Amino acid sequence: MTEAASRLTWRITAPLHFRVWEGEYIVYHTLSGDTHLLGPAAACLLLKLQQAPADTAGLCNALAQQLNVLMDEAFILQTGDLLADLASLLLIVRH
Amino acid sequence: MKVSALTHQELASRLRHAGLFLQTGPYVIHVQTVLPGVAENIALLYADYSLIESCAFADFHVSLALPRTVRRWFKPQVLFLFDGDPAFKPLPRDQAFAMLEWGLNWCVSSHVNDHLIIHAAVVEKNGQAIILPAPPGSGKSTLCAALVNRGWRLLSDELALIRTSDGRITPLPRPVSLKNQSIAIMQRFAPDARFSQPVHDTQKGTVAHMQAPTDSIARAQEPARPARIIFPKYQPDAATQFNAVSKSRAFMRVADNAFNYSLLGVLGFETTANLIDACLCHDFTYSDLDAAVATFDTLSSSHV
Repeated sequence: MTEAASRLTWRITAPLHFRVWEGEYIVYHTLSGDTHLLGPAAACLLLKLQQAPADTAGLCNALAQQLNVLMDEAFILQTGDLLADLASLLLIVRH
Repeated sequence: MKVSALTHQELASRLRHAGLFLQTGPYVIHVQTVLPGVAENIALLYADYSLIESCAFADFHVSLALPRTVRRWFKPQVLFLFDGDPAFKPLPRDQAFAMLEWGLNWCVSSHVNDHLIIHAAVVEKNGQAIILPAPPGSGKSTLCAALVNRGWRLLSDELALIRTSDGRITPLPRPVSLKNQSIAIMQRFAPDARFSQPVHDTQKGTVAHMQAPTDSIARAQEPARPARIIFPKYQPDAATQFNAVSKSRAFMRVADNAFNYSLLGVLGFETTANLIDACLCHDFTYSDLDAAVATFDTLSSSHV
């Protein structure tokens, strides 16, 4: 990740509604009307972004804390992939 | 006054002229037709429904009309009109009553938006309603027909109406649609029930309708509390078996089976979520109807 890219912030594209059952999240996107079934890591990122925009580093940190795991290089890469997936679903966007 | 109070002649005459105002669940349906076969089936399957006399309002105005094309001399057809306009392409005339039933389902699923409408049968016993969402061919209607012939109340064979205001289920008991082998199976299972004459070569194969139980029609104004969502699957020679379905996966399947989930927006999401919260969710595989009914009876006696 370049330094410039790391400074860009992610934000949600529209307000989200959540329901959670047994660790699986249903997320409703108010702009598209789409509904998604997501795991806890993806939901954690969206819940964080629902509170406020954040950069990748901040999100990695928040997710590592939430999941109680070590924030190593592999974790950062996985989180980056997850953010890209959420962006491809048009749930979040990076500015 | 019930439909059964009319003579066949009076019924046919009303249908031909001013039309019949029928109370089906919460909706008043105004039906007109010149087709005697439709009148006969209404006399047979809607005998216990209330007639609304001198009605100034109907929720749906429908009629079955004969297209005035040259084709009528060779292969006669029938049109389903909604508010005077054709809603679908015409069908062969012998499918007129089936078309009325399909058309009435369409009226509700396409125009009612104070309920979340799920493509599902709903039955109730001991105050607990069970929603049976399933795609065509899953044995949903067969199972539903079997249950309502063994003491379960029919709320609907096709459309689960979930009130967005409080999550209760509004009954819409109408004739149960049966297809292909299910017709003979159900005629053996419930020899006292009334069935329309089977109609062959429809888009769904051979189709017949079974009357809704009289008690279910009489209780059509009593909403029910959802207790379980069961996804039925008929599988030849399979043992009767339940498997728990996680609530999140049940949510997605219910939303997929809902006609107006997207249209309702956040309200659709909230209504579905509250429904899932209120229900236990299972997959249910069966082949033997008696065993299936016995299993459901066990469920109805256990508290949710």
